[in-house]
Amino acid sequence: MSLILFTATGCARCQIAKKFMREKNLGFDEHDAIGEGKELFGKFYRAHRTAIVRGADGVEFPVLADGSEVRQGVAAAIAWLQAGDRLDGFIGRSEISKGWVGGLHVSKGDPAAIEDLVGVLGFLKRNGLKLLLDTDGRNAAVLERLLAQGLGDRVAMELKGPKALYAAMMGMPIDTEEVHRSMTQVAGFPEYRFETTVAPVVRAEEGPTGLRYLTPDEVAETALWLKVATGSHRQPYVLRVFDPQADPDDRFRSVEMLTPTALLRHRSAARRHQVLTEVE
Amino acid sequence: MTYPSIFPTGATLYDPGRCWNGYTVFQAKEVGALLIDMNGGEVQLWKELHGMPNRLLPGGHLIGSTGERSTAFGSQDGIDLVQVDWDGNVVWRFNQYEFIEDPGEAPQWMARQHHDYQREGNPVGYYAPGLAPLTDRGNTMILSHKNVRNPAICDKPLLDDSIIEVNWEGEVIWEWVCSEHFDELGFREDARNLLFRNPNWLKSGGGAGDWMHINSMSLLGPNRWFDAGDRRFHPDNIIWCARESNITAIVDKQTGRIVWRLGPNYDETAELRRLGWIIGQHHAHMIPRGLPGEGHILVFDNGGWAGYGAPNPGSPTGFRNALRDHSRVLEIDPISLQVVWQYTPVEAGLAFPVDANRFYSPFISSAQRLPNGNTLITEGSGGRLIEVTDGHEIVWEYISPYWGRMLKINMIYRAYRVPYDWVPQVETPAEQAIERIDVTHFRVPGASPRGARRTVNVAGVLPYRPDAALCVRTDVVEKS
Repeated sequence: MSLILFTATGCARCQIAKKFMREKNLGFDEHDAIGEGKELFGKFYRAHRTAIVRGADGVEFPVLADGSEVRQGVAAAIAWLQAGDRLDGFIGRSEISKGWVGGLHVSKGDPAAIEDLVGVLGFLKRNGLKLLLDTDGRNAAVLERLLAQGLGDRVAMELKGPKALYAAMMGMPIDTEEVHRSMTQVAGFPEYRFETTVAPVVRAEEGPTGLRYLTPDEVAETALWLKVATGSHRQPYVLRVFDPQADPDDRFRSVEMLTPTALLRHRSAARRHQVLTEVE
Repeated sequence: MTYPSIFPTGATLYDPGRCWNGYTVFQAKEVGALLIDMNGGEVQLWKELHGMPNRLLPGGHLIGSTGERSTAFGSQDGIDLVQVDWDGNVVWRFNQYEFIEDPGEAPQWMARQHHDYQREGNPVGYYAPGLAPLTDRGNTMILSHKNVRNPAICDKPLLDDSIIEVNWEGEVIWEWVCSEHFDELGFREDARNLLFRNPNWLKSGGGAGDWMHINSMSLLGPNRWFDAGDRRFHPDNIIWCARESNITAIVDKQTGRIVWRLGPNYDETAELRRLGWIIGQHHAHMIPRGLPGEGHILVFDNGGWAGYGAPNPGSPTGFRNALRDHSRVLEIDPISLQVVWQYTPVEAGLAFPVDANRFYSPFISSAQRLPNGNTLITEGSGGRLIEVTDGHEIVWEYISPYWGRMLKINMIYRAYRVPYDWVPQVETPAEQAIERIDVTHFRVPGASPRGARRTVNVAGVLPYRPDAALCVRTDVVEKS
């Protein structure tokens, strides 16, 4: 396997990726995408547009290629080198920088790959990057392990809704006891917050067109659950507006988008149990 | 401002035939919410019920607050807003805006209300025909505090102003936060620079910048401008004014954007220069429909010290760089910015500018338009209430006899006149005229009467000149 690593002048994350490859004795060709390798990267980019994201600040480096796969960003590159695609669910593209690595989805990966995940996150952490984890409550055991290893500087937990609606909101069977365990774990990380996107939910009892947003009372139930799970009514809890157009579920396209003002009733309801609730 | 050490308090002047007679309610300093009749008779005291302000509602109900947050941690944060009945029973309460855990204090919800609120049914909180505030239901608009950080304004914590709408059940259903509209406020670079360095820093609660200090908030209510198609004046839109920035503005209730603004600069157009610099103003509101002057903006332009901008000799840093030592009550056409009525030291009959500071309250104060065209003015710092006619004659005057024990001042934040029938619990009081006392002959016991015991003539003296020169020029009104 011939590895190519596109880097950028002054890119600290590229140095971390190179360090990992050297420690693993992985040979690679490096090209500075804004220096001598500019022309080569331009050609590579045009051939792999769909695999490389260009954000508002340009392309994030490093970009790793092995002839068949492309991985962008230090976490994704190292994860690929560590475990191939076995960590793909856990590690995605980071949308934050300045010392942080995001796109670390505790709930979306295969728990069987926990040792590789710990290895990758541990390497990133040892090299000075701070880890932003997210979870929706699934894979509580993974979260427990990361907490025990000190691998997580900040955690954002998306609380989908009250227990009774959690499976409907997720569109899959859910063990709410596991979600409960995750809430308890999240409160143990150095920084954390809980979030609920006030989204539409399919109300099975109302037939196939029974789509309605979470109600203020249902958000209050969620806040109460959070209070019971964590033993505190002072959790950082944020309510967010749902964007129907950005959701992959086509059923939501026709749903009217709420305004932040419309969530104030939800905030009032949630504050009955979580006094620090805010609308974002 | 110029009081002798001895002077009467209570009602001092009253012409029943020319007044709009009723009860007057105000917060008596460190005493409670006090309702008085036209002769200053104290009809009822809601003892130690706070109020910023107190407002009477039809049926003898009253709105106020049960207390304030410790000034060690906050500034002018009302714990709650309550409606009490004639007997003092709480019939409505709101406090769930922010959960506060101040060191050494019991954790509690607080409204953080300050300076103003409006109950549905009436846009401005005072009597206007057909616009009675609701007493057993309805929403309440509340001016509150919110601590924020906004590096576009300042790198320090800010004590921000927010406006919330609360329903009868106590749910917050609308919120507007001032700092989110910083770029709509018209601050020039010199003001922005100063705000960043000194956003009116207060030490309480670890320190925060009370950068705007919004001190009034009301709805526009139905008005002719909106009826004519000007959507800036939608009846649901909100007008506020802020003493530290000298800004008065109207917020679109739907979008939250500022759609009409006066200040912070008053030198940018001929209309503004003619209007003059409004400084530290209070109680800017649109005169409600049904009252003389409806649709105009009525404001107590305090003078004093306020604003951010370029340094000058009176403000070496540019902080509170606008200065004036007298007050003005202005009624302004919001379209042309013409002053259509005013009460200033000139209308008060005071020699200008040498005696102008006799009509002066550098903080608090208000003006209420009455149905007969009179205006009830709270000249707050001296605890003086006057009712003046359209022709500027004082037909009622009252001086608060209540000085605080902790703060030795008889200040009145804001007084309101209400009709007698809003208090059905008591008989309409007798109205006894109080003639104007000729102070040139008024003496306290022990004082000698006016008049020299012996008069001698001096040969060659000239009569006094009507245009006598003083050390400063008098009766000069600055031209724009």
